[in-house]
Amino acid sequence: MIADLLTGTLAEEVVLASQKGLRVFAVTTPASLVAALAARRLGAGGLAIAGGLTALDADPVLPLEGGEEALFSRGPVQRDGATDIFTMLWRGRAGVAVVPAQLDAAGRTNLSGIGPPGRPKVALIGPRGLPDNNASPSWVWYLLAAHSPRALVERVDVVCGAIPPAGAPRALLTPAGCFDLGQGGWRARWLAPGGDELVAAVPALGVEIPDGTPVREAPSPETLAALDEVDPQGYRRAEFV
Amino acid sequence: MGAGSGRPAVALAAALAEAIADGAVVATGGGELSRKPVAAVRQLVTLGRRDLVLVTLLGSVDVELLLAAGLVAELHSAGVALEGLAPHYRAARQDGEPRVIEWSEGLLTAALQAASLGLDSTLWRAGTGTDLPAVNPWLREIADPHTGAPVLAVRALEPDVALLHVPAVDEQGNAYCDGDLVADAVLARAAKHVIVTYERRVEVDEPRAAISRVWIDEAFELPGGARPTGCFPDYGPDRGGLRELAT
Repeated sequence: MIADLLTGTLAEEVVLASQKGLRVFAVTTPASLVAALAARRLGAGGLAIAGGLTALDADPVLPLEGGEEALFSRGPVQRDGATDIFTMLWRGRAGVAVVPAQLDAAGRTNLSGIGPPGRPKVALIGPRGLPDNNASPSWVWYLLAAHSPRALVERVDVVCGAIPPAGAPRALLTPAGCFDLGQGGWRARWLAPGGDELVAAVPALGVEIPDGTPVREAPSPETLAALDEVDPQGYRRAEFV
Repeated sequence: MGAGSGRPAVALAAALAEAIADGAVVATGGGELSRKPVAAVRQLVTLGRRDLVLVTLLGSVDVELLLAAGLVAELHSAGVALEGLAPHYRAARQDGEPRVIEWSEGLLTAALQAASLGLDSTLWRAGTGTDLPAVNPWLREIADPHTGAPVLAVRALEPDVALLHVPAVDEQGNAYCDGDLVADAVLARAAKHVIVTYERRVEVDEPRAAISRVWIDEAFELPGGARPTGCFPDYGPDRGGLRELAT
């Protein structure tokens, strides 16, 4: 099931990143919160979880109605204002899972609109934190529910997030698989079953699939168990329908 | 701070009339569907002050109500949405009227912080290499004067008035907020005049206060003052009320 594969992978990624200095993970969707909570059970026990912009919660619960408020059942352990999360991004202590409307071959992101900058044919939400996330040395995971040519493009219409700095960890998770951004562009780390066909249908993203790229069908039993433990109702699946 | 004599809603209306003139720069706190000062914004709509410059980090009901009333000349925000897309915001963006200035969350926070520090502008790393400077005159890409590295010079944005809604205020006027503070602490320091509405009165517990009374000019008890957005832990967003606004 793709929701388990992608949410589980995100959880494993957060655990690995926490061993390299990630201290706080900013969640933006139910699946990213499930991944954060699972990561705590998989080895990142001290991980702080940020919901929205600033509140770092000791032990959030799943948002039953998707409301941000439901994240904060026990009260935040740290809350220093909107500047705090940006400081953590700049100091390389943060990670964030984002869902841009467009992501391109060089890692630029867009959530402002479709059409020319400042004159959108279709206005979307706005740049939000994409410019700040993308420019930082911290971890950014792009989490997309579909490997779609509408979202994955050669160049975004409006550059909200600029090309990430060299060496900054940037990974893309889609139903096609897991992809890392390097100097040469996107490169498959592993593919989901059928992922090669999905990648081939979106040539604009310019994904390289090295020989011997593994196919991954499911996360490890340990990761799956952690997902079920923190999300027995399966809220993560609503994001990948 | 003024305790808000008489009925709080009446006192709030008087405070808004006193503090906000046509053309004022008005900032609203909260973020997205959390702690929007909706009761105060509705009063502002009734008051009918025109040509407002509206500033909000992440907007929702606040932006939609003021746009719908035709009172906004210019909007500064990093993003606006209801449950889904916000129709009046979308129309403004696509029609070019009223003017919408696009920010990132970090850049808008930096512009407000600059105002609180008495600066004309401040430097910010993120946003170079993006389309934001092309569409936002408050941003200019320059070479850092010390290192030559590209940075954005962010012009300060100083609200005349900030409208905030929080769960609780104590008798001294300190504000308490158990959930996400978003940019409210920055707004309280950047604005010339800060008006807070709140759900309930609590005992003084100064070390726990999210915003010190030093930064708050007036506070009014208005339970439910954020609806249909939520105010943790008192209530969550009212999905039905939000859907009505979106149609």
